[in-house]
Amino acid sequence: MNAIEINSLTKVYSSSFNKKQTMALQNFSLNVTEGTIFGLLGPNGAGKTTLIKLLLGIIFPTNGTAKILNYYIHEYKIKSRVGYLPENHKYPSYLKGKEVLDFYGKLSGMSGSSLKIKIDEMLELVNLSKWGKTKIKNYSKGMMQRLGLAQALLNDPDLIFLDEPTDGVDPIGRKEIRDILLNLKQRKKTIFLNSHLLSEVELLTDRVGILNKGKLIREGTVNELTQKKQEYKLSIEGENAEQIIKDFDNRISFVNSGNGYYNLKVSDSVQLNMVLDVLRNNGIIIKEMVQQKDSLEDIFISLIQESEKKELQ
Amino acid sequence: MKNILTITWYSLREALARKVFIAFIIISTLTVGLVTLILNVADIVKVVSSGYQGNYFQAFTTVEMMFISPVTLIGILMSIFSSASFIPVMLEKGNIDLLLSKPISREQLITGKFLGGVLVVLINIAVLIIGVWLAFSFKFSIWNFNFLLIIFTITFTFAILYSVIILFGILTKSSAPGMMIAYLIFLIVSPMLYTFEFKISGLLINSFLKGSIDFLYYFFPKTSEIMGKITMSLALGNGIDNYQPLLTSLGFLILTLGISIAIFRKKEF
Repeated sequence: MNAIEINSLTKVYSSSFNKKQTMALQNFSLNVTEGTIFGLLGPNGAGKTTLIKLLLGIIFPTNGTAKILNYYIHEYKIKSRVGYLPENHKYPSYLKGKEVLDFYGKLSGMSGSSLKIKIDEMLELVNLSKWGKTKIKNYSKGMMQRLGLAQALLNDPDLIFLDEPTDGVDPIGRKEIRDILLNLKQRKKTIFLNSHLLSEVELLTDRVGILNKGKLIREGTVNELTQKKQEYKLSIEGENAEQIIKDFDNRISFVNSGNGYYNLKVSDSVQLNMVLDVLRNNGIIIKEMVQQKDSLEDIFISLIQESEKKELQ
Repeated sequence: MKNILTITWYSLREALARKVFIAFIIISTLTVGLVTLILNVADIVKVVSSGYQGNYFQAFTTVEMMFISPVTLIGILMSIFSSASFIPVMLEKGNIDLLLSKPISREQLITGKFLGGVLVVLINIAVLIIGVWLAFSFKFSIWNFNFLLIIFTITFTFAILYSVIILFGILTKSSAPGMMIAYLIFLIVSPMLYTFEFKISGLLINSFLKGSIDFLYYFFPKTSEIMGKITMSLALGNGIDNYQPLLTSLGFLILTLGISIAIFRKKEF
Protein backbone atom coordinates (compact mmCIF):
# COMPACT_ATOMS: atom_id res chain seq x y z
CA MET A 1 0.00 0.00 0.00
CA ASN A 2 1.18 3.52 -0.77
CA ALA A 3 1.56 6.19 1.90
CA ILE A 4 1.91 8.85 -0.79
CA GLU A 5 0.30 8.79 -4.23
CA ILE A 6 1.01 11.73 -6.49
CA ASN A 7 -0.61 11.93 -9.87
CA SER A 8 0.56 14.52 -12.45
CA LEU A 9 0.93 17.25 -9.89
CA THR A 10 1.71 20.65 -11.36
CA LYS A 11 2.33 23.89 -9.57
CA VAL A 12 2.69 27.20 -11.35
CA TYR A 13 3.43 30.35 -9.39
CA SER A 14 2.07 33.49 -10.98
CA SER A 15 3.35 36.92 -10.14
CA SER A 16 0.56 39.45 -9.88
CA PHE A 17 2.95 42.28 -10.75
CA ASN A 18 4.40 41.27 -14.12
CA LYS A 19 2.20 38.25 -14.95
CA LYS A 20 5.35 36.13 -14.95
CA GLN A 21 4.75 32.45 -14.40
CA THR A 22 7.17 30.06 -12.74
CA MET A 23 6.74 26.34 -13.15
CA ALA A 24 7.68 24.99 -9.74
CA LEU A 25 6.47 21.45 -10.33
CA GLN A 26 5.69 19.85 -13.65
CA ASN A 27 3.49 16.78 -14.11
CA PHE A 28 5.03 15.17 -11.07
CA SER A 29 3.96 11.61 -10.36
CA LEU A 30 5.30 9.41 -7.59
CA ASN A 31 4.27 6.64 -5.24
CA VAL A 32 5.91 6.06 -1.89
CA THR A 33 5.29 2.69 -0.28
CA GLU A 34 4.26 2.52 3.36
CA GLY A 35 7.04 1.80 5.82
CA THR A 36 9.85 3.04 3.60
CA ILE A 37 12.18 6.01 3.63
CA PHE A 38 12.05 8.06 0.45
CA GLY A 39 14.71 10.68 -0.22
CA LEU A 40 14.10 13.57 -2.55
CA LEU A 41 17.20 15.22 -3.92
CA GLY A 42 17.56 18.29 -6.03
CA PRO A 43 19.45 21.55 -6.29
CA ASN A 44 18.09 24.70 -4.64
CA GLY A 45 14.86 25.78 -6.28
CA ALA A 46 14.21 22.35 -7.77
CA GLY A 47 10.75 22.19 -6.18
CA LYS A 48 11.42 19.87 -3.24
CA THR A 49 9.85 22.10 -0.59
CA THR A 50 7.04 23.03 -3.00
CA LEU A 51 6.15 19.35 -3.23
CA ILE A 52 5.97 18.92 0.54
CA LYS A 53 3.92 22.10 0.89
CA LEU A 54 1.49 20.84 -1.73
CA LEU A 55 1.12 17.51 0.04
CA LEU A 56 0.42 19.27 3.33
CA GLY A 57 -2.09 21.76 1.92
CA ILE A 58 0.12 24.79 2.63
CA ILE A 59 -0.08 25.67 -1.06
CA PHE A 60 -2.53 24.41 -3.67
CA PRO A 61 -1.85 22.49 -6.90
CA THR A 62 -2.48 24.12 -10.27
CA ASN A 63 -3.23 20.68 -11.71
CA GLY A 64 -3.16 17.05 -10.72
CA THR A 65 -4.12 15.16 -7.59
CA ALA A 66 -2.36 13.64 -4.63
CA LYS A 67 -3.22 11.44 -1.68
CA ILE A 68 -1.49 10.95 1.62
CA LEU A 69 -2.37 7.89 3.69
CA ASN A 70 -5.17 7.27 1.22
CA TYR A 71 -6.86 10.66 1.72
CA TYR A 72 -6.88 13.52 -0.75
CA ILE A 73 -4.56 16.30 0.36
CA HIS A 74 -7.31 18.87 0.91
CA GLU A 75 -8.78 16.74 3.73
CA TYR A 76 -6.99 18.45 6.61
CA LYS A 77 -8.04 15.99 9.32
CA ILE A 78 -5.69 13.33 7.96
CA LYS A 79 -2.84 15.53 9.16
CA SER A 80 -3.34 14.14 12.65
CA ARG A 81 -1.42 11.11 11.31
CA VAL A 82 1.29 13.25 9.72
CA GLY A 83 4.43 14.83 11.16
CA TYR A 84 6.36 17.68 9.54
CA LEU A 85 9.66 19.34 10.17
CA PRO A 86 9.96 22.39 7.89
CA GLU A 87 13.32 23.61 6.68
CA ASN A 88 13.27 26.94 8.52
CA HIS A 89 10.87 26.31 11.33
CA LYS A 90 10.05 29.11 13.69
CA TYR A 91 8.53 28.65 17.10
CA PRO A 92 7.17 31.37 19.39
CA SER A 93 10.32 32.51 21.21
CA TYR A 94 8.50 33.22 24.48
CA LEU A 95 7.67 29.54 24.90
CA LYS A 96 9.76 26.90 26.65
CA GLY A 97 10.70 23.64 24.95
CA LYS A 98 7.92 21.70 26.67
CA GLU A 99 5.37 24.41 25.89
CA VAL A 100 6.25 24.28 22.19
CA LEU A 101 5.56 20.56 22.18
CA ASP A 102 2.38 21.05 24.21
CA PHE A 103 1.09 23.62 21.70
CA TYR A 104 1.74 21.52 18.60
CA GLY A 105 0.65 18.35 20.37
CA LYS A 106 -2.71 19.89 21.19
CA LEU A 107 -3.07 21.08 17.61
CA SER A 108 -2.42 17.50 16.52
CA GLY A 109 -5.36 16.36 18.60
CA MET A 110 -3.47 15.16 21.69
CA SER A 111 -4.35 16.09 25.24
CA GLY A 112 -4.10 15.29 28.92
CA SER A 113 -1.62 12.97 30.57
CA SER A 114 -0.88 11.07 27.35
CA LEU A 115 0.42 14.31 25.85
CA LYS A 116 2.55 15.04 28.92
CA ILE A 117 4.06 11.56 28.85
CA LYS A 118 4.72 11.84 25.12
CA ILE A 119 6.40 15.25 25.53
CA ASP A 120 8.86 13.83 28.09
CA GLU A 121 9.45 10.81 25.88
CA MET A 122 10.19 12.96 22.85
CA LEU A 123 12.51 15.31 24.74
CA GLU A 124 14.38 12.25 25.97
CA LEU A 125 14.55 10.87 22.43
CA VAL A 126 16.19 14.01 21.04
CA ASN A 127 18.40 14.55 24.09
CA LEU A 128 16.67 17.70 25.28
CA SER A 129 15.25 16.48 28.59
CA LYS A 130 17.30 18.99 30.57
CA TRP A 131 16.19 21.83 28.32
CA GLY A 132 12.42 21.32 28.44
CA LYS A 133 11.89 24.14 30.90
CA THR A 134 14.20 26.59 29.14
CA LYS A 135 12.84 29.29 26.85
CA ILE A 136 13.63 28.36 23.30
CA LYS A 137 15.18 31.76 22.57
CA ASN A 138 18.17 30.33 24.44
CA TYR A 139 18.41 27.24 22.21
CA SER A 140 21.20 26.75 19.67
CA LYS A 141 20.43 25.98 16.02
CA GLY A 142 21.12 22.28 16.56
CA MET A 143 18.87 22.20 19.63
CA MET A 144 16.09 23.90 17.69
CA GLN A 145 16.44 21.29 14.99
CA ARG A 146 16.19 18.50 17.55
CA LEU A 147 13.16 20.16 19.11
CA GLY A 148 11.68 20.38 15.62
CA LEU A 149 12.16 16.67 15.17
CA ALA A 150 10.51 16.00 18.54
CA GLN A 151 7.60 18.17 17.41
CA ALA A 152 7.31 16.24 14.14
CA LEU A 153 7.26 12.88 15.93
CA LEU A 154 5.12 13.87 18.91
CA ASN A 155 1.80 12.58 17.59
CA ASP A 156 3.34 9.22 16.61
CA PRO A 157 2.65 9.94 12.93
CA ASP A 158 2.43 7.28 10.25
CA LEU A 159 3.90 9.60 7.66
CA ILE A 160 6.72 12.02 8.41
CA PHE A 161 7.96 14.81 6.15
CA LEU A 162 11.41 16.05 7.01
CA ASP A 163 12.89 19.00 5.18
CA GLU A 164 16.65 19.11 5.83
CA PRO A 165 16.36 17.45 9.25
CA THR A 166 20.08 17.57 10.08
CA ASP A 167 20.62 21.16 9.04
CA GLY A 168 22.80 22.84 11.69
CA VAL A 169 23.24 19.65 13.69
CA ASP A 170 26.76 18.49 14.64
CA PRO A 171 28.05 15.08 13.40
CA ILE A 172 27.11 13.26 16.61
CA GLY A 173 23.63 14.80 16.54
CA ARG A 174 23.33 13.80 12.87
CA LYS A 175 24.16 10.24 13.72
CA GLU A 176 21.55 10.28 16.51
CA ILE A 177 18.91 11.63 14.12
CA ARG A 178 19.81 8.96 11.57
CA ASP A 179 19.37 6.30 14.24
CA ILE A 180 15.98 7.75 15.21
CA LEU A 181 14.86 7.63 11.59
CA LEU A 182 16.05 4.08 11.11
CA ASN A 183 14.21 3.09 14.27
CA LEU A 184 11.05 4.71 12.90
CA LYS A 185 11.47 2.74 9.72
CA GLN A 186 11.63 -0.45 11.75
CA ARG A 187 8.32 0.59 13.27
CA LYS A 188 6.85 0.74 9.74
CA LYS A 189 6.64 4.51 9.60
CA THR A 190 6.93 6.18 6.21
CA ILE A 191 9.49 8.96 5.97
CA PHE A 192 9.75 11.48 3.17
CA LEU A 193 13.11 13.17 3.37
CA ASN A 194 14.38 16.27 1.61
CA SER A 195 18.08 16.67 2.04
CA HIS A 196 21.13 18.25 0.50
CA LEU A 197 23.36 15.80 2.30
CA LEU A 198 23.70 13.06 -0.27
CA SER A 199 25.71 10.81 2.03
CA GLU A 200 22.86 10.98 4.51
CA VAL A 201 20.32 10.05 1.87
CA GLU A 202 22.53 7.23 0.71
CA LEU A 203 22.69 5.82 4.23
CA LEU A 204 19.03 6.14 5.08
CA THR A 205 16.74 5.80 2.14
CA ASP A 206 15.10 2.86 0.41
CA ARG A 207 14.30 4.87 -2.69
CA VAL A 208 15.52 8.15 -4.04
CA GLY A 209 14.04 10.67 -6.45
CA ILE A 210 16.07 13.34 -8.20
CA LEU A 211 14.21 16.52 -8.97
CA ASN A 212 15.36 19.37 -11.18
CA LYS A 213 13.35 22.40 -12.19
CA GLY A 214 10.14 20.78 -11.07
CA LYS A 215 10.67 17.56 -13.00
CA LEU A 216 11.42 14.15 -11.57
CA ILE A 217 14.42 13.12 -13.64
CA ARG A 218 15.21 9.79 -11.98
CA GLU A 219 13.74 7.53 -9.34
CA GLY A 220 14.88 4.24 -7.92
CA THR A 221 16.78 2.55 -5.11
CA VAL A 222 20.20 3.93 -4.26
CA ASN A 223 21.66 0.74 -5.72
CA GLU A 224 19.78 1.10 -8.99
CA LEU A 225 20.90 4.68 -9.33
CA THR A 226 24.54 4.21 -8.48
CA GLN A 227 25.24 0.87 -10.17
CA LYS A 228 27.45 1.22 -13.23
CA LYS A 229 26.08 -1.02 -15.92
CA GLN A 230 28.43 -3.88 -16.75
CA GLU A 231 31.54 -2.40 -15.15
CA TYR A 232 33.52 -4.62 -12.82
CA LYS A 233 36.70 -4.57 -10.83
CA LEU A 234 38.56 -7.90 -10.94
CA SER A 235 41.47 -9.24 -8.98
CA ILE A 236 43.10 -12.07 -10.95
CA GLU A 237 46.18 -14.21 -10.72
CA GLY A 238 47.90 -16.26 -13.39
CA GLU A 239 51.17 -16.52 -15.26
CA ASN A 240 50.00 -15.38 -18.66
CA ALA A 241 47.16 -13.15 -17.56
CA GLU A 242 48.46 -10.07 -19.37
CA GLN A 243 48.72 -11.91 -22.67
CA ILE A 244 45.23 -13.36 -22.41
CA ILE A 245 43.77 -9.96 -21.66
CA LYS A 246 45.50 -8.46 -24.69
CA ASP A 247 43.88 -11.12 -26.86
CA PHE A 248 40.33 -9.97 -26.09
CA ASP A 249 38.76 -8.02 -28.94
CA ASN A 250 38.11 -4.26 -28.98
CA ARG A 251 34.54 -4.54 -27.73
CA ILE A 252 35.87 -5.50 -24.33
CA SER A 253 37.76 -3.00 -22.22
CA PHE A 254 40.09 -4.78 -19.81
CA VAL A 255 42.59 -2.41 -18.21
CA ASN A 256 45.21 -3.11 -15.57
CA SER A 257 44.65 -0.71 -12.72
CA GLY A 258 47.64 -1.97 -10.72
CA ASN A 259 48.20 -4.30 -7.74
CA GLY A 260 46.62 -7.22 -9.57
CA TYR A 261 43.36 -5.38 -10.18
CA TYR A 262 41.73 -4.88 -13.56
CA ASN A 263 38.79 -2.80 -14.73
CA LEU A 264 36.50 -4.72 -17.01
CA LYS A 265 33.82 -3.14 -19.15
CA VAL A 266 31.54 -5.40 -21.19
CA SER A 267 28.40 -4.82 -23.21
CA ASP A 268 26.18 -7.40 -21.50
CA SER A 269 26.19 -10.38 -19.16
CA VAL A 270 26.71 -12.88 -22.05
CA GLN A 271 29.97 -11.14 -22.86
CA LEU A 272 30.87 -11.06 -19.16
CA ASN A 273 30.42 -14.82 -18.89
CA MET A 274 32.43 -15.35 -22.05
CA VAL A 275 35.34 -13.34 -20.54
CA LEU A 276 35.16 -15.28 -17.28
CA ASP A 277 35.14 -18.59 -19.19
CA VAL A 278 38.21 -17.62 -21.20
CA LEU A 279 40.05 -16.61 -18.05
CA ARG A 280 39.20 -19.83 -16.23
CA ASN A 281 39.96 -22.03 -19.23
CA ASN A 282 43.42 -20.52 -19.32
CA GLY A 283 44.10 -21.27 -15.68
CA ILE A 284 43.61 -17.72 -14.42
CA ILE A 285 42.32 -17.56 -10.87
CA ILE A 286 39.61 -14.99 -10.22
CA LYS A 287 40.19 -13.88 -6.61
CA GLU A 288 37.63 -11.12 -6.44
CA MET A 289 35.01 -9.50 -8.64
CA VAL A 290 33.00 -6.41 -7.66
CA GLN A 291 30.47 -4.54 -9.74
CA GLN A 292 31.50 -0.92 -9.99
CA LYS A 293 29.35 1.83 -8.48
CA ASP A 294 29.20 5.58 -8.75
CA SER A 295 28.65 7.58 -5.61
CA LEU A 296 25.21 9.13 -5.28
CA GLU A 297 26.92 12.49 -5.59
CA ASP A 298 28.44 11.56 -8.98
CA ILE A 299 25.07 10.37 -10.24
CA PHE A 300 23.29 13.41 -8.86
CA ILE A 301 25.70 15.83 -10.54
CA SER A 302 25.72 14.01 -13.85
CA LEU A 303 21.92 13.74 -13.95
CA ILE A 304 21.46 17.39 -13.15
CA GLN A 305 24.01 18.39 -15.80
CA GLU A 306 22.37 16.10 -18.32
CA SER A 307 18.98 17.59 -17.51
CA GLU A 308 20.35 21.13 -17.86
CA LYS A 309 21.82 20.26 -21.26
CA LYS A 310 18.51 18.83 -22.45
CA GLU A 311 16.80 21.98 -21.26
CA LEU A 312 19.17 24.13 -23.36
CA GLN A 313 18.63 22.04 -26.50
CA MET B 1 -13.65 23.66 18.94
CA LYS B 2 -10.62 22.20 20.76
CA ASN B 3 -8.35 23.61 18.05
CA ILE B 4 -9.91 27.07 18.38
CA LEU B 5 -9.41 26.97 22.15
CA THR B 6 -5.76 25.95 21.76
CA ILE B 7 -5.08 28.82 19.35
CA THR B 8 -7.04 31.21 21.60
CA TRP B 9 -5.10 30.16 24.68
CA TYR B 10 -1.73 30.45 22.97
CA SER B 11 -2.70 33.82 21.46
CA LEU B 12 -3.36 34.94 25.01
CA ARG B 13 0.09 33.67 25.97
CA GLU B 14 1.58 35.54 23.02
CA ALA B 15 -0.19 38.72 24.11
CA LEU B 16 1.06 38.39 27.65
CA ALA B 17 4.58 37.93 26.32
CA ARG B 18 4.29 41.37 24.79
CA LYS B 19 5.17 44.18 27.12
CA VAL B 20 2.41 46.47 25.85
CA PHE B 21 -0.32 44.27 27.30
CA ILE B 22 1.54 44.01 30.56
CA ALA B 23 1.85 47.79 30.53
CA PHE B 24 -1.91 48.02 30.03
CA ILE B 25 -2.51 45.79 33.05
CA ILE B 26 -0.08 47.91 35.10
CA ILE B 27 -1.83 51.12 34.02
CA SER B 28 -5.20 49.58 34.90
CA THR B 29 -3.95 48.50 38.31
CA LEU B 30 -2.39 51.90 38.97
CA THR B 31 -5.64 53.56 37.96
CA VAL B 32 -7.60 51.42 40.42
CA GLY B 33 -5.07 52.29 43.13
CA LEU B 34 -5.22 55.99 42.28
CA VAL B 35 -9.03 55.97 42.31
CA THR B 36 -9.07 54.32 45.74
CA LEU B 37 -6.59 56.89 47.03
CA ILE B 38 -8.48 59.90 45.65
CA LEU B 39 -11.80 58.63 46.96
CA ASN B 40 -10.31 58.36 50.40
CA VAL B 41 -8.90 61.88 50.52
CA ALA B 42 -11.65 63.88 48.79
CA ASP B 43 -15.37 63.53 48.33
CA ILE B 44 -15.14 64.18 44.64
CA VAL B 45 -18.66 62.90 43.95
CA LYS B 46 -20.19 65.48 46.26
CA VAL B 47 -18.30 68.21 44.42
CA VAL B 48 -19.44 66.96 41.00
CA SER B 49 -23.04 66.37 42.10
CA SER B 50 -23.54 70.09 42.60
CA GLY B 51 -23.17 70.40 38.82
CA TYR B 52 -25.87 67.76 38.32
CA GLN B 53 -28.54 69.55 40.35
CA GLY B 54 -27.96 67.16 43.20
CA ASN B 55 -28.43 64.02 41.06
CA TYR B 56 -26.01 62.05 43.15
CA PHE B 57 -26.23 58.81 41.14
CA GLN B 58 -25.53 60.54 37.83
CA ALA B 59 -22.64 62.43 39.36
CA PHE B 60 -21.35 59.20 40.87
CA THR B 61 -21.39 57.40 37.51
CA THR B 62 -19.92 60.41 35.71
CA VAL B 63 -16.98 60.46 38.09
CA GLU B 64 -16.48 56.74 37.59
CA MET B 65 -16.45 57.32 33.82
CA MET B 66 -14.06 60.25 34.24
CA PHE B 67 -11.49 57.83 35.58
CA ILE B 68 -12.24 55.03 33.21
CA SER B 69 -12.65 56.78 29.84
CA PRO B 70 -9.07 58.03 29.36
CA VAL B 71 -7.59 54.74 30.53
CA THR B 72 -9.80 52.64 28.26
CA LEU B 73 -9.00 54.96 25.36
CA ILE B 74 -5.28 54.55 26.01
CA GLY B 75 -5.87 50.83 26.54
CA ILE B 76 -7.60 50.44 23.17
CA LEU B 77 -4.83 52.40 21.42
CA MET B 78 -2.20 50.23 23.11
CA SER B 79 -4.11 47.04 22.31
CA ILE B 80 -4.34 47.99 18.63
CA PHE B 81 -0.61 48.64 18.60
CA SER B 82 0.21 45.36 20.27
CA SER B 83 -2.23 43.10 18.47
CA ALA B 84 -1.29 44.45 15.03
CA SER B 85 1.59 42.00 14.78
CA PHE B 86 -0.37 38.89 15.82
CA ILE B 87 -1.29 37.90 12.27
CA PRO B 88 1.96 38.93 10.52
CA VAL B 89 3.95 36.93 13.09
CA MET B 90 1.68 33.94 12.54
CA LEU B 91 2.17 34.24 8.78
CA GLU B 92 5.97 34.24 9.00
CA LYS B 93 7.70 31.53 7.01
CA GLY B 94 8.44 28.55 9.20
CA ASN B 95 5.58 29.35 11.55
CA ILE B 96 2.58 29.24 9.25
CA ASP B 97 3.89 26.13 7.44
CA LEU B 98 3.94 24.30 10.70
CA LEU B 99 0.48 25.48 11.77
CA LEU B 100 -1.04 24.49 8.44
CA SER B 101 0.60 21.09 8.62
CA LYS B 102 -1.54 20.31 11.67
CA PRO B 103 -5.12 19.00 11.56
CA ILE B 104 -6.60 22.45 11.96
CA SER B 105 -8.67 24.26 9.36
CA ARG B 106 -7.75 27.74 8.23
CA GLU B 107 -11.08 29.05 9.55
CA GLN B 108 -10.28 27.69 13.01
CA LEU B 109 -6.86 29.31 12.91
CA ILE B 110 -8.23 32.79 12.22
CA THR B 111 -11.14 32.38 14.62
CA GLY B 112 -8.75 31.31 17.38
CA LYS B 113 -6.45 34.27 16.72
CA PHE B 114 -9.43 36.62 16.77
CA LEU B 115 -10.81 35.22 20.03
CA GLY B 116 -7.35 35.25 21.64
CA GLY B 117 -6.83 38.94 20.85
CA VAL B 118 -10.31 39.85 22.05
CA LEU B 119 -9.93 37.77 25.20
CA VAL B 120 -6.76 39.53 26.26
CA VAL B 121 -8.42 42.93 25.89
CA LEU B 122 -11.51 41.65 27.70
CA ILE B 123 -9.32 40.61 30.63
CA ASN B 124 -7.47 43.93 30.71
CA ILE B 125 -10.63 46.00 30.48
CA ALA B 126 -12.36 43.81 33.07
CA VAL B 127 -9.47 44.30 35.54
CA LEU B 128 -9.73 48.06 35.11
CA ILE B 129 -13.50 48.40 35.23
CA ILE B 130 -14.17 45.88 37.98
CA GLY B 131 -11.36 47.47 40.03
CA VAL B 132 -12.73 50.99 39.68
CA TRP B 133 -16.30 49.77 40.21
CA LEU B 134 -15.32 47.97 43.43
CA ALA B 135 -13.46 51.04 44.72
CA PHE B 136 -16.51 53.27 44.13
CA SER B 137 -19.06 50.73 45.31
CA PHE B 138 -17.33 50.05 48.62
CA LYS B 139 -16.73 53.73 49.25
CA PHE B 140 -20.27 54.91 48.51
CA SER B 141 -22.22 51.68 49.06
CA ILE B 142 -23.86 52.14 45.66
CA TRP B 143 -23.74 48.89 43.75
CA ASN B 144 -24.47 49.85 40.15
CA PHE B 145 -24.16 46.50 38.38
CA ASN B 146 -25.14 48.06 35.05
CA PHE B 147 -21.78 49.77 35.11
CA LEU B 148 -20.10 46.41 34.51
CA LEU B 149 -21.83 46.10 31.13
CA ILE B 150 -19.43 48.64 29.70
CA ILE B 151 -16.72 45.94 29.81
CA PHE B 152 -18.52 44.43 26.83
CA THR B 153 -19.07 47.62 24.83
CA ILE B 154 -15.40 48.55 25.15
CA THR B 155 -14.25 45.04 24.29
CA PHE B 156 -16.68 45.01 21.37
CA THR B 157 -15.12 48.24 20.09
CA PHE B 158 -11.73 46.57 20.15
CA ALA B 159 -13.12 43.43 18.48
CA ILE B 160 -14.36 45.52 15.54
CA LEU B 161 -10.99 47.21 15.13
CA TYR B 162 -9.15 43.92 15.58
CA SER B 163 -11.14 42.39 12.70
CA VAL B 164 -9.75 45.19 10.49
CA ILE B 165 -6.23 44.49 11.78
CA ILE B 166 -6.67 40.79 10.93
CA LEU B 167 -7.90 41.53 7.41
CA PHE B 168 -5.00 43.84 6.59
CA GLY B 169 -2.56 41.53 8.38
CA ILE B 170 -3.58 38.70 6.04
CA LEU B 171 -3.55 40.92 2.96
CA THR B 172 -0.19 42.56 3.57
CA LYS B 173 1.60 40.20 6.03
CA SER B 174 2.62 43.40 7.77
CA SER B 175 1.44 45.05 10.95
CA ALA B 176 1.60 48.73 9.94
CA PRO B 177 -1.31 48.96 7.43
CA GLY B 178 -3.84 47.23 9.71
CA MET B 179 -2.76 49.30 12.67
CA MET B 180 -2.98 52.56 10.71
CA ILE B 181 -6.43 51.76 9.33
CA ALA B 182 -7.71 50.75 12.76
CA TYR B 183 -6.47 54.03 14.22
CA LEU B 184 -7.97 55.90 11.29
CA ILE B 185 -11.40 54.31 11.82
CA PHE B 186 -11.29 54.72 15.58
CA LEU B 187 -9.94 58.24 15.83
CA ILE B 188 -11.08 59.93 12.59
CA VAL B 189 -13.59 58.07 10.39
CA SER B 190 -16.06 57.02 13.06
CA PRO B 191 -16.28 60.36 14.96
CA MET B 192 -16.30 62.28 11.68
CA LEU B 193 -19.09 60.21 10.11
CA TYR B 194 -21.15 60.55 13.28
CA THR B 195 -20.79 64.32 13.13
CA PHE B 196 -21.59 64.41 9.40
CA GLU B 197 -24.62 62.12 9.78
CA PHE B 198 -26.23 63.85 12.74
CA LYS B 199 -24.93 67.41 12.63
CA ILE B 200 -24.20 68.27 8.99
CA SER B 201 -26.18 65.90 6.76
CA GLY B 202 -29.48 67.60 7.56
CA LEU B 203 -28.10 70.85 6.23
CA LEU B 204 -27.09 69.38 2.87
CA ILE B 205 -29.18 69.92 -0.25
CA ASN B 206 -27.27 67.64 -2.64
CA SER B 207 -29.01 64.26 -2.36
CA PHE B 208 -26.02 62.34 -3.79
CA LEU B 209 -23.73 63.76 -1.13
CA LYS B 210 -26.34 63.09 1.53
CA GLY B 211 -26.76 59.51 0.28
CA SER B 212 -23.00 58.99 0.23
CA ILE B 213 -22.67 60.15 3.82
CA ASP B 214 -25.56 57.91 4.81
CA PHE B 215 -23.90 54.94 3.11
CA LEU B 216 -20.52 55.58 4.70
CA TYR B 217 -22.09 56.12 8.10
CA TYR B 218 -24.01 52.86 8.00
CA PHE B 219 -21.14 50.92 6.40
CA PHE B 220 -18.33 51.85 8.77
CA PRO B 221 -18.36 50.73 12.40
CA LYS B 222 -19.62 53.27 14.91
CA THR B 223 -16.83 52.92 17.45
CA SER B 224 -17.15 56.48 18.74
CA GLU B 225 -20.88 56.04 19.43
CA ILE B 226 -20.33 52.67 21.11
CA MET B 227 -17.48 53.96 23.26
CA GLY B 228 -19.30 57.22 23.97
CA LYS B 229 -23.08 57.44 23.98
CA ILE B 230 -23.91 53.74 24.36
CA THR B 231 -21.28 53.05 27.02
CA MET B 232 -22.38 56.06 29.08
CA SER B 233 -26.04 55.13 28.75
CA LEU B 234 -25.32 51.58 29.94
CA ALA B 235 -23.21 52.84 32.84
CA LEU B 236 -26.08 55.04 33.98
CA GLY B 237 -28.46 52.11 33.82
CA ASN B 238 -30.51 53.63 31.03
CA GLY B 239 -30.04 50.67 28.69
CA ILE B 240 -29.67 51.00 24.94
CA ASP B 241 -32.33 53.06 23.20
CA ASN B 242 -31.01 52.50 19.68
CA TYR B 243 -29.38 49.22 18.69
CA GLN B 244 -28.53 50.37 15.15
CA PRO B 245 -24.90 51.39 15.90
CA LEU B 246 -24.26 48.06 17.59
CA LEU B 247 -25.94 45.97 14.91
CA THR B 248 -24.37 47.72 11.91
CA SER B 249 -20.98 47.55 13.63
CA LEU B 250 -21.49 43.86 14.31
CA GLY B 251 -22.34 43.46 10.62
CA PHE B 252 -19.07 45.21 9.73
CA LEU B 253 -17.15 42.92 12.10
CA ILE B 254 -18.71 39.77 10.62
CA LEU B 255 -18.12 41.01 7.07
CA THR B 256 -14.47 41.91 7.76
CA LEU B 257 -13.78 38.64 9.53
CA GLY B 258 -15.61 36.70 6.80
CA ILE B 259 -13.52 38.36 4.08
CA SER B 260 -10.37 37.67 6.12
CA ILE B 261 -11.22 33.97 6.36
CA ALA B 262 -12.16 33.77 2.66
CA ILE B 263 -8.82 35.32 1.65
CA PHE B 264 -6.86 33.23 4.13
CA ARG B 265 -8.45 30.02 2.81
CA LYS B 266 -7.03 30.75 -0.65
CA LYS B 267 -3.70 32.12 0.47
CA GLU B 268 -0.49 30.19 -0.16
CA PHE B 269 2.55 30.29 2.07
